[in-house]
Amino acid sequence: MMNIHQRASARRNALLMTAATVLLLIWVFPLLWATVVSLKSESEVLAYPPNLIFKPVFQNYQDAIFGDFSILDSLLTSVIVATTTTLLTIVLAVPAAYAFARLKLPARRTLGFYTLATQMVPPVGLVIPYFLILNKLQWLDTYQGMIVVYLTFSLPFAIWLLVSYMEDIPFEMEEAALLDKASRLQTMWYVIIPQVRGGIAVTVIFVFLNAWNEFLFAVQLGGNTVRPVTVAMYNFVSVEQTLWAKLAAAALVAMLPVVIIGIAAQKQIVKGLTVGAVKGGGRR
Amino acid sequence: MTQAGRVTLRGINKRFGSFTALKNVDLDIKPEEFFALLGPSGSGKTTTLRMIAGLETPDEGVIEIAGKDVTFAPPGDRDIAMVFQNYALYPHMTVRENIAFPLKMEKVPAKEIEPRVVDAAKKVDIDHLLHRRPGQLSGGQQQRCALARAIVRQPKLFLLDEPLSNLDAQLRLQTRVELKKLQRSLNVTAIYVTHDQEEAMTLADRMAVFFNGEIMQIGTPDEVFNRPDSIAVAAFIGSPPMNLLPAQLDGSQLKVEGRTIELDRKPTATPMAVTMGIRPSHIRIDADGIPARLYLSENMGESVLLNLYIGEHLVKVRANENVSLDDGDIVPITFDVNAIHLFDAQTGIRIEN
Repeated sequence: MMNIHQRASARRNALLMTAATVLLLIWVFPLLWATVVSLKSESEVLAYPPNLIFKPVFQNYQDAIFGDFSILDSLLTSVIVATTTTLLTIVLAVPAAYAFARLKLPARRTLGFYTLATQMVPPVGLVIPYFLILNKLQWLDTYQGMIVVYLTFSLPFAIWLLVSYMEDIPFEMEEAALLDKASRLQTMWYVIIPQVRGGIAVTVIFVFLNAWNEFLFAVQLGGNTVRPVTVAMYNFVSVEQTLWAKLAAAALVAMLPVVIIGIAAQKQIVKGLTVGAVKGGGRR
Repeated sequence: MTQAGRVTLRGINKRFGSFTALKNVDLDIKPEEFFALLGPSGSGKTTTLRMIAGLETPDEGVIEIAGKDVTFAPPGDRDIAMVFQNYALYPHMTVRENIAFPLKMEKVPAKEIEPRVVDAAKKVDIDHLLHRRPGQLSGGQQQRCALARAIVRQPKLFLLDEPLSNLDAQLRLQTRVELKKLQRSLNVTAIYVTHDQEEAMTLADRMAVFFNGEIMQIGTPDEVFNRPDSIAVAAFIGSPPMNLLPAQLDGSQLKVEGRTIELDRKPTATPMAVTMGIRPSHIRIDADGIPARLYLSENMGESVLLNLYIGEHLVKVRANENVSLDDGDIVPITFDVNAIHLFDAQTGIRIEN
C-alpha cells in the first residue's frame, strides 16, 4: 500500500513526466519533420496535404554529400573553424578565468565587467567593422580571420562561464596546495582544472556549438576558401527554387558532429550543470 | 635549544579596510610546544594562524619561524603543514594521491613516495582506505586524511585551524586524545586555533586568549583558568564561565550584594569599584548566606547547575549534592573566600592580592 506521501510524489512524478514529454515533443517535432522531408523526393515534399506514407529515398543525402553542391568541403571547413576556435578559447579562457576568480588584480571588477559587456553588443552591429578590419588585414576569407572574429565572442563568454565554476572551489584547497609548495600554475593544473572539468566540458560544447552554428559572420567574412557548412547549405536555396529535401538532408548531416559531441560529453555536462547544486562552495 | 619549530610574532598589526583584525600581537611559541589560539569568532585567532602560514601578510610587524624572518615569505617556503577546518582535501584525487601531493610538489623521487604515504597513513590509521576518494570517507576519516597529508612531509611546524569542529561530539573527544599523542610522538610544534576552551585547556601546553584582535592573556591552561588577567578572559574561560558581580573594595573588605566579606589581602588606600569573579563550583549553599531565588536548575549528570538570581544578577552555582529544589525557592549561598577574583571595574584588569 502506498501512503499519502508516496501517492503525492507519484502524482508529482506523473505530472513532471507529462510536462517533460510535451516539451520534448515540441522540441523534437522540427527534427522529425526535417528527417521525414530529407527522405522524400523533391516533388513529394511539395505535395499537399503531405503524405505520411511514402517510399523513403536516400538520394538527397547522396546529393548533399557527393553531388554538385557537396557540403563535404564545407563540413571540413566548419570542423577546422569550430575546433580551432574551441581549442584556442579553452586554452586562453581557463587561465584568464582563474585569474579573474582568484588573483587580486587591481582592476579585476572593471575588467570583469567589460569582459561581460562585450556580450551585450548585438553581433549584427559588428559585421561591418569586422569586415573593414579584416579587409585591411587582408584576412577576409581566411581561416585566421574567421577564427579571430569568433574568438571575440567565445572568449568573453567562456571566461565568464568558467569564472563561476572556479569561484565555487573552496579557497582552502588552493591554500593547502600553496602550503605544500605548489606554484600558482601547478595549483591551477593539479587542483583547479581537474575540479572544473565539468565546467570546461560545458564551455567546450557551447563554444563549439556557437562556432558551428554561426551564419551571419561566416556569410560576410568568409568566401570561397572559407565557407562553413551553414553558408554552404544556402546553395540549396536559390531565386528559382528551394531544394527542400536536399536542404533537410544537408542540415541533418551538418547536425551530426554536434550531436555526437553532445552524447559523448553528456556525463560531464550533467555534472557541470549541476555543480552549483552541490554544497561545499567557497565564495567569499 | 634548537630553533626548528620556534615561531615568534612581534608587533603584528593587521587591518581589513576599516576593521582592525589584529592589534599589536606578540607571541613566542617554543619548539615542540602545543600552543592554542583561543577566542570567540572574529577575535583574530584565525588571522594570526593564516599569517604564520603566509596566507596573509601583516600591515606591521615581524614573523619569524625557526629564527628566520618570514614575514613576506610565500607559504611554500616556510616548511609548515596546515590542517584546515574543512580539511581542503582534493576531491578528484584518491586518499593516496592526496597524501602524496606534498611529496610530488617537493619532487621527492617516485620510489620514495609510496612508502612514505603508507607510513603517514598508518600513523593515523587510514592505510586501508588509500584507494578511496575523500567523498567516500566519513568525516573522521577525512580528518585523518588531512592529518596524514600534513605529516607526510615531516615538517617541524603544524598549523591546525579548528580541525575537530566538523566532527560529532564523541569523535571529537577521541580525536583530541589522538591528536595530542601524534604531536608528541612526532616532536613537532603545533599551533591550534579553536573557539572551544575545553579543547584549548585539554590540548595546549600554553595558550593565547584573543579578544577583538588583541591577545588578552598568554599562559598555561592552569594560569588562564586559575588566574585570568581580565574580566574578558574570566568571562570566557570555564564551562560555565565565572560569575561576575559588581562589588566595592574598601580596605580589605569586599562589599557585595549588601554583604561584607573579609578578604585576606593587603588593604587598599581608597575604596574602589570592582568586579568580583567566582566560579560556579566555589559557591556553596549555606543557611547564613545571601538569599538567592532559584530560576532554573539544570541537571548535568554528575552535578546540578543552579541558576540563581541575587537581585537582578544571575549567578550560576554548581551543586554536587542532590539538592531537591523547586523553581522560585530561596537558596542562601556563600562564596568561597579564597576563590574570589577581583577585577578593576573600570579597566577590567585583574587586581592582585
